[in-house]
Amino acid sequence: MTVVWNDPVNLMSYVTHVFMKVFGYPKDKATKLMLDVHHKGRAVVSSGPRERMEGDTATLHGYGLWATIQHDQ
Amino acid sequence: MKVRRRAELIRVQLADSESYLLAGLIDDFTAMLEQADATDPAMQRLYPDGYSDDDEASAEFRQLVSDDLTAVRTGRLRTCRAELPDGSGTISLDEEAADRWLQVLNDLRLTLGVRLGVSEEVELDSADPVANIYHWLSAVQDLLVSQLMV
Repeated sequence: MTVVWNDPVNLMSYVTHVFMKVFGYPKDKATKLMLDVHHKGRAVVSSGPRERMEGDTATLHGYGLWATIQHDQ
Repeated sequence: MKVRRRAELIRVQLADSESYLLAGLIDDFTAMLEQADATDPAMQRLYPDGYSDDDEASAEFRQLVSDDLTAVRTGRLRTCRAELPDGSGTISLDEEAADRWLQVLNDLRLTLGVRLGVSEEVELDSADPVANIYHWLSAVQDLLVSQLMV
């Protein structure tokens, strides 16, 4: 799965925009994920096979988000 | 700086000082990417590990994506730099162009954020000109996002 971590620079509005743009999530889902990142320190933003998670993570790095791939438990 | 949305286009009106500031920031950032100093904390923030708990997988991931990421970063910097007016002027952005500008503004903010040591606990010194540039970039980015989400 792909995890996004909280960081002190990325704006809440921008992070919401990125989730909508990259994953096609509706605004309410993107906002909820952004708030999870902000309040809980991290959120799982996508899950699936490793190759796709690496693609998602690379895309999020392109947007400047602090994202990592985590092996499923 | 004024940002207005007219139907499909977002129009960003820049004062000459704002155009020159952005041009300078973009040029400095481009030079930093070219130097590619892996020990620079700003570069480490721009190219984070792909795995938080697996160094070997992170190294493989880095090898796989970092050249592409640099090519993407450099390409959008160049496009945005070419769109900047020489002095005051207006840039018209469709949604894709606005998204590209958001990414460039974010790269600039991340870099300044590292230089300033931005954290959630520390308030930036309002007398520091770099801190003021950082806040200005944040405001511009927020305005652009809000126009995209209308």
